This record gives sequence, structure tokens and C-alpha cells, in this order.
Amino acid sequence: MKVKKGCNSTDAGVPVTSEDELLRNPVISPEDVLGLQKITENYLCSPEENVHMIDFTRFKIRDMETGTVLFEITKPPAPAGEKKDFDPNGGRFVRYQFTPAFLQLRQVGATVEFTVGDMPINNFRMIERHYFREQLLKSFDFEFGFCMPSSKNTCEHIYEFPPLSEDIMREMILHPYKTQSDSFYFVDNKLVMHNKADYSYSGSP
Amino acid sequence: MSYLLPTLCCKGPPSPRPEYDLVCIGLTGSGKTSLLSRLCSEATDNIGPTTGFSIKAVPFQNAILNVKELGGADSIKKYWSRYYQGSQGVVFILDSASTDEDLEMARTELHSALQHPQLCTLPFLILANHQDKPAARTTQEIKKYFELEPLARGKSWILEGSSVDNMDAVKQSFTQLIELLEDKDQDTGRI
Repeated sequence: MKVKKGCNSTDAGVPVTSEDELLRNPVISPEDVLGLQKITENYLCSPEENVHMIDFTRFKIRDMETGTVLFEITKPPAPAGEKKDFDPNGGRFVRYQFTPAFLQLRQVGATVEFTVGDMPINNFRMIERHYFREQLLKSFDFEFGFCMPSSKNTCEHIYEFPPLSEDIMREMILHPYKTQSDSFYFVDNKLVMHNKADYSYSGSP
Repeated sequence: MSYLLPTLCCKGPPSPRPEYDLVCIGLTGSGKTSLLSRLCSEATDNIGPTTGFSIKAVPFQNAILNVKELGGADSIKKYWSRYYQGSQGVVFILDSASTDEDLEMARTELHSALQHPQLCTLPFLILANHQDKPAARTTQEIKKYFELEPLARGKSWILEGSSVDNMDAVKQSFTQLIELLEDKDQDTGRI
């Protein structure tokens, strides 16, 4: 599915915003997060705001040029009757460990699988922003559109790696977990979920 | 590294493959998920009914098809039209070996799609799937039963038999669809 790329604040024509400002708003919109210049320190919404019961159940990355699956993770179904995680932010954060070769990839297909509760969703949208230290590397803006009630949906979108200079790549490899991303999910233009991830390219834990 | 070579050539980096957005519909059990998964070289042993949408980026040599496959169960069919907006082409998959009753239902759905305002000007690839089954009707029979000649007149459509046992032929069918999509792009003046 086509992903809107290059959504830097200037490209998107939105004013620069800061995390503190947004945390004071009752509702956070897609334009609000498109103005963010760096990774947030806090989650911009609580797990309770996920009223549509959106649950991400599987994630997979493959190299589009060779078809090789690089990474796949499935959430085990919680057995009935078992208590959920005590950590309210459990499941909102993923740490990825890649080798330096990962940065040589040009096109990667990322598949995400998610379930939806018994309310239909009119307009589901994801904005994901990747940073190395304070520098925005890339912003992705993806509209899933309508989601049927009680559905399980999968979506693969193609990420084109931004051209990275040798210098930046070297720094990214030398500094594991300084590459970070915020994934913001909106229903009808209102933020309902916020997940985070960080990345190592050094090849070792 | 292949990334460096294009910039040495005076033409610059090669243009990326064009992408086309397609919607893939058909009754439950027609084989949509299996065919699309095989096109993406994915495992097909754990496939169950699709209970929502499944968007896949299917790469071909000269295009990428972003296919939005929709489950075919009754509870899901009623939402199909919510996904038509923005489609550039349609893939309709049917089970050539289904019961008469199911074939009639498939015909109704195909006719509906061919006449839907958001789909009626788009190229259609119709796959008469499960050709490997002994009870499979031939593509000639399907063409006649579905009244494609009169009903799809003036539209661009392709009808091919298909089976997961012959993915080369399936790829060929999709390549034909890509040609229709390219033609349409040129007609509308899009690059």
C-alpha cells in the first residue's frame, strides 16, 4: 500500500510541536505528531485510550528484493482466565537487534497483523517516525481506512530506506538503541495508541 | 553493492517500479489467500478463512501490486464496497469446482462488482481457480455461464483458469493484468 513519505514538518506544512505541548491537549491529532522533532520521552496516550480494542498480534519484516524473511514475531494468545500483564506499558515497546547488513537494504516489506473489537472503525491511520538521536530519518504515514468489527486484518507496507550517508550508518552501528521510533495510531484523527521501538545494528545484543 | 552502481551511470538511479492498488474479492473458499500467498512465496499450510482484510505487496518484474484481499464469508462480503475507493483494478477469484448454487452466488457477486460505480471502469482479472479439481468447469463454460461477453463488453477484463499447482500460469495472468493497468494509466495521462 502506498505510504506517504517525507512527512517532515516542513513537507507536511504543519507547525513544529513539542511533547509537552501535546500532553496538555485533550485530543492529539495526526497533524500534532507530524510536528514532533524528536522521539518522545513519554507515551502520549494511556493504554486505556485504546477503546476500539486494537491488538497487534503479529509482525514480520522481509527483504523485498530477495523475499527473505528477516524477522517475525507472533503474540501468543493469552490463555483464558489468565491475568493480563501488570506492566501497563507491556507490549507497547519492542527492541530490535539487527546486523549492520540491515542498513544496506533498500526495500523492506513490513507486515503487521491486528485484531479489532466489536466496533467498526471508520478511519484507522498510523504515523511512524524514525530518529537517530535527534535527527528525523524518516516519517511514514499510512491509512488503513475502514476496519470491520471483530476482524483480524493484515497489512504489508513497503518501507523504502532513506538514503543514509556512510557517516550516519557508521554512527548508527556504533550506537545501538540510539535509533528509535514512535508509532502513533489514530481512529477518526484522534490518537488512540502509541507504541515505541528502538534498534541496534551492531549485530550483537 | 548494487546501491552504488546506478549513481555511477549518467542516467542516475533506476526509477522504482510503478505500484498499482487492487482489490481482490471472491466467495469464501475460492482460494484468494492461497493464491496471493503463493505469489509472495509464503507458506500456505496454516491458512484459514480471512476474517477482515489482508493487504499484500506482490512484486512483479515491472510493477508492484498492492492487493487488498477481502474475506469472502457472508459477514464480511457486506463490507466489500467500503474498500473499493482508490482501487485501480479488481481481481475476482472463483472456485471452478463449486456447487451450482455457489457458482450462482459467485456470478451474482461478479456482476455486482462489474456494475459498481467505483469499479465499473477498472480492469478485471477473473481467475477460474481450482482447475486441478476433477469437477472444475472449463474457462469456456465459466465465460458462458457468467455471461462475460455481453456483460463485460466495453470493459477491460481477462478470464484465465488457475490452480495453486501452476503458479507460473498465475503469474502470467497477473502480468496480463499489469499490461491493462499500464494501458489505463497512459490513457488517463498519469505517469
